[in-house]
Amino acid sequence: MIQTNGTSTKAPSMNEATPKDPFNNNCYGTIVDSGYKLISLPVLDVTDFNERIIRGYEEGWGERDLPADLSVARSLIPAGTASLRDFSNIAPEIPEYIPENCTGCMDCVTECPDTAILGKVLSESEWSKKMQTIPEGDREMFSKQWSKTKKYYDAGKKKLGDGGMFNIIIDPSKCKGCAECVTVCDDDALKMIPKTDQVMIDSRKSHRYFKNIGPSDNKYINDNLLIDMMLKEETHIYTGGAGSCAGCGEGTALRMMCAATGSKYGDQWGLVAATGCNTVYTSTYPYNPYLVPWTNSLFENAPADAIGVRMRWDQMGWHDKPIWCIGGDGAMFDIGFQALSRLFASGMNVKVFVLDTQVYSNTGGQASTSTYTGQNTKMSVHGKAVGGKQERRKEIAQIAIMHPRTYVAQTTCAHVNHFYKSVLGALEFDGPALVVCYTTCQPEHGVADNMAGEQARLAVDSRAFPILIYDPRKGDKVKERLSLVGNPAVKDDWFVNPKTKEPVTFIDFARSEGRFAKHFDKDGNPSETLERAKQDRLENWHLLQELAGLR
Amino acid sequence: MLNRKRRTALSAPKATHDYTPGEVVAAVEFVKRTRAELRTLRKVRVWKDKLHIIDVNKDYFEVRGLGYPDADVVPVLKQINTAFNPDTIHNPVDLDYKEFDTGRRHPWAEDRVM
Ligand SMILES: Cc1ncc(C[n+]2csc(CCOP(=O)(O)OP(=O)(O)O)c2C)c(N)n1
Ligand code: SF4
Ligand code: SF4
Ligand code: SF4
Repeated sequence: MIQTNGTSTKAPSMNEATPKDPFNNNCYGTIVDSGYKLISLPVLDVTDFNERIIRGYEEGWGERDLPADLSVARSLIPAGTASLRDFSNIAPEIPEYIPENCTGCMDCVTECPDTAILGKVLSESEWSKKMQTIPEGDREMFSKQWSKTKKYYDAGKKKLGDGGMFNIIIDPSKCKGCAECVTVCDDDALKMIPKTDQVMIDSRKSHRYFKNIGPSDNKYINDNLLIDMMLKEETHIYTGGAGSCAGCGEGTALRMMCAATGSKYGDQWGLVAATGCNTVYTSTYPYNPYLVPWTNSLFENAPADAIGVRMRWDQMGWHDKPIWCIGGDGAMFDIGFQALSRLFASGMNVKVFVLDTQVYSNTGGQASTSTYTGQNTKMSVHGKAVGGKQERRKEIAQIAIMHPRTYVAQTTCAHVNHFYKSVLGALEFDGPALVVCYTTCQPEHGVADNMAGEQARLAVDSRAFPILIYDPRKGDKVKERLSLVGNPAVKDDWFVNPKTKEPVTFIDFARSEGRFAKHFDKDGNPSETLERAKQDRLENWHLLQELAGLR
Repeated sequence: MLNRKRRTALSAPKATHDYTPGEVVAAVEFVKRTRAELRTLRKVRVWKDKLHIIDVNKDYFEVRGLGYPDADVVPVLKQINTAFNPDTIHNPVDLDYKEFDTGRRHPWAEDRVM
């Protein structure tokens, strides 16, 4: 029985099945179940928090009826509480897996912003045994969702004598229905279907069985294949249940950064966040998707805050625990810029991750210095007299490169290997590092919920956002340190799209996003401002080519 | 767990429309319907003599008899927010078809601040 207020003695734990969550999809652990993440603090009792406060919010009476006691009044939130948040009813559709088409590429798992699509690989012999543990009535429904891919099955058979059975599963309590996974699947192995009662029952049961059958068999996971890292539980440092918009590019970026860091350091690292969308959707009381310690002070001081945490951790002998300082372009290009520069100049071992949406997303889309020329924002409104932002975009990566001995990368989630190499390179580097990540903001960019990956790719293809890695260890000349590998047609001005045989310029990028729509007349001709924006991007690209010794 | 099958070409269209020269309005009306009957649109493929409007599930509608050389292809592509360049759309190309994205939306509150 679940009581509607106060403490409940008879109600099942929030980490167990409840009448509202009959198959216990809403629970801790991503690939396998886990208990609460307990800590020893006099002001925060994790079990009480989850059983009383989270319950209050999940049942709808928390905000009104919870007393302002020691935990509530301090706004402290334990790690991973977002695991208990139920999003089952926010979207009308959910992905369906088509195993016969799947290649096991892991793109869907990697690109989901909400940790709502998961992969697992088991040896065929173990798999057969595990299938016998599934209730008979559901065995066929569940077992036919496993795939014999070349990557795990054929190669596994050849190398290990036992093929790997591969499965993709949706967590229906965390999926927001954005269709990003379907869009990135090149093999037609996912499609969106309506959430009928039967679809939801099967989906909930499948996710439950997926968790019950234990972890992936590590012998099928190649540590050199970075895209496979999310098969391991320890990479799921960012759980589902964060409050970001459906399809938010930032969510994927944070998840992937957490996964890469988790793959090397488990949960032995921390985050210092600058106020912005990221802090809102990861700490909307009482839900926190992080399984590592996290703090937020202000919009403007995250790098300074991170310096303080680093000093204290070093005093405690925690030299080996990385600290990521995260924030949007507003926080890092603009209001926190001097603190950021100070951090680089300090030489301290703090890594900075910028969620570059080219706009102040959280407060409704004001221009930042990262905003592109011509972009329609709330502080550069496109009107009759002035067509969007008139200034040029500031390039924080180039500025950071000019600081003493600072590792710098610019990347996107759509360039998975480049992304992981950038983040792992930053972590390996003994000193300050900056990783700037292009991230879509669906409502402010004016793109559909499933477009984060596609638009990030186009941003790179069109030179709007070149990717780069600058590693001071690579030599004593800038051209030895700076690599533009990963950009298409790296020696040319523009990349030619093989599907249209036309060069892809900033104007083509602008055509695909609502934030630039007003720059095109009724015949589709671009404005003079947009021509300037194109020239700006070309000059920026030329500068990078020159620095990298390609020009 | 089924047998592996490599990705095949698109299956049959969900609906088709035969374009009659000069009757672009009918073609646009047909395409408007795709908004409701398809899911989130993904891509548009334009051949010399037909076009496909493809959604995220790779379901699609087909317009026959209208291709990239025709002037009337422009209003049809615009109707579904296709990101194409009107200066080059009619150019001949050494490819089976040209492919374009269609994911554009209005930015948030664009109508309220103007
Ligand atoms: C000193 C100060 N000014 C303004 C704000 C209000 N504010 C909160 S988040 C934000 C914008 C954040 O933009 P960005 O850093 O780009 O992150 P995003 O939301 O785009 O991820 C603003 C203006 C604040 N918190 N503090
Ligand atoms: S639809 Fe979106 S939220 Fe759901 S699993 Fe796919 S990518 Fe994740
Ligand atoms: S993206 Fe498609 S092919 Fe790749 S693992 Fe996911 S479902 Fe399989
Ligand atoms: S407003 Fe933009 S950045 Fe913020 S959560 Fe939504 S999509 Fe993400």
